[in-house]
Amino acid sequence: MISKIHNTGEGVNELTAKEVCIFLSDYAARLLGCGATCIRIEKNVRRMSKAFSMDVEMTIMPSHIHLSVWDKAHTESFTNIKRIHKGGISFNINTLLSKLSWEVADGKVNFQDALRLFKKITDTPPSNQRLVLFLASLANAAFCRLFGGDPIAMLIVFIATLVGYRVKQIMLEDGADVRFVFLCAAFFSSVIAASGHLFGLGETPEIALGASVLYLIPGIPYINSVSDMLDGHYICSFSRFMDAAILTACLSIGMCGGLLLMNLGLF
Amino acid sequence: MLLNILQDGFFAAIAAIGFASISNPPQQAYAFCAFIAAAGHSVRFLLTTNTVFQVHIILASIIAAFVIGLLAVYLAPRAKCPAETCLYPALLPMIPGMYAYKTIGALLLCLFHKEENLFNHYLYLLTYNGLTCTFIVLGMVIGATIPIFLFKNTSFQATR
Repeated sequence: MISKIHNTGEGVNELTAKEVCIFLSDYAARLLGCGATCIRIEKNVRRMSKAFSMDVEMTIMPSHIHLSVWDKAHTESFTNIKRIHKGGISFNINTLLSKLSWEVADGKVNFQDALRLFKKITDTPPSNQRLVLFLASLANAAFCRLFGGDPIAMLIVFIATLVGYRVKQIMLEDGADVRFVFLCAAFFSSVIAASGHLFGLGETPEIALGASVLYLIPGIPYINSVSDMLDGHYICSFSRFMDAAILTACLSIGMCGGLLLMNLGLF
Repeated sequence: MLLNILQDGFFAAIAAIGFASISNPPQQAYAFCAFIAAAGHSVRFLLTTNTVFQVHIILASIIAAFVIGLLAVYLAPRAKCPAETCLYPALLPMIPGMYAYKTIGALLLCLFHKEENLFNHYLYLLTYNGLTCTFIVLGMVIGATIPIFLFKNTSFQATR
């Protein structure tokens, strides 16, 4: 566990604006990449720069962090532009990085330890993929029930999600383009979900079909987009919205393809 | 009615856990997400289906999101997570996914139909679904973030 180390005056003075700037821009790029809102990134970075006795100014762009650090006497400054680290949305990393910022702010962790802990946090592996696959399928089946689907529709949605989500995982591991991945996953899910209609299974085949691709809707980017908008970060907000809208468009096209193949109309 | 509300909450909780798992939440947050989502979704269910209230889905989403926001701000320090770690996954079951992809579907159909009546119909579907979707998401996030700004000190110090 982290031992309690208080920043001594000397320790802080040894830090250069360059070191702090590189660390903070890395930190912010990682936070942006794991799906944190702009207000969170700004607050965490400012909190830490205060602890290091430096002044910081930053711009958050859709895929870059532009960060400038001044030392306390305003004699030396350093500016860094860091590209976003795209690691997929992770609330776990978001939480751990926020905790780290408080530990730095409260003087429990010095600069060198912060660097070490930051490295450790960024190496945190994502959740168990098989478990996520199962939970997401279960979630979509439950979602189908919320829309009024019967147990057979729930089962169809469960299988459709299981297959579609697995396709998504395999393709993403292979490094395929995320838009193409969404298109393919939606195509497979909707073709499987169409079985309810084709074989006359259950009373609510249309609900099964409608709910089968909902696991792909990028909910967090939509929420983040509105959150950034409310905070006045319009460029980030627009970029997050467009990312989410393009993924939604891809999944709709995949679904339309699936329905066309099965000769069904949903709309 | 009570059974229906409980059922709605139960399935919303499962949906929240599953959809949350896609965005890698910390393990201690799962239970909180599930509880908050269940509470929020059943509030919306009660408001939209009850014959007494019959609230429009947009307004109902705002109210439900406000409840979710309040609970998230209150529970986040107990889960030792930032408020949005509990809040955003709990909002996921209320994201109007069907409206979202129906908007794009209607757009595609609009492009492929020249006849005025059909074109107008799909244009209507496009704007109806698009507007409803946009305003539900907008309202939801506004409703959920009001408590975060009202209790700024609690919500941004949750991981302290």
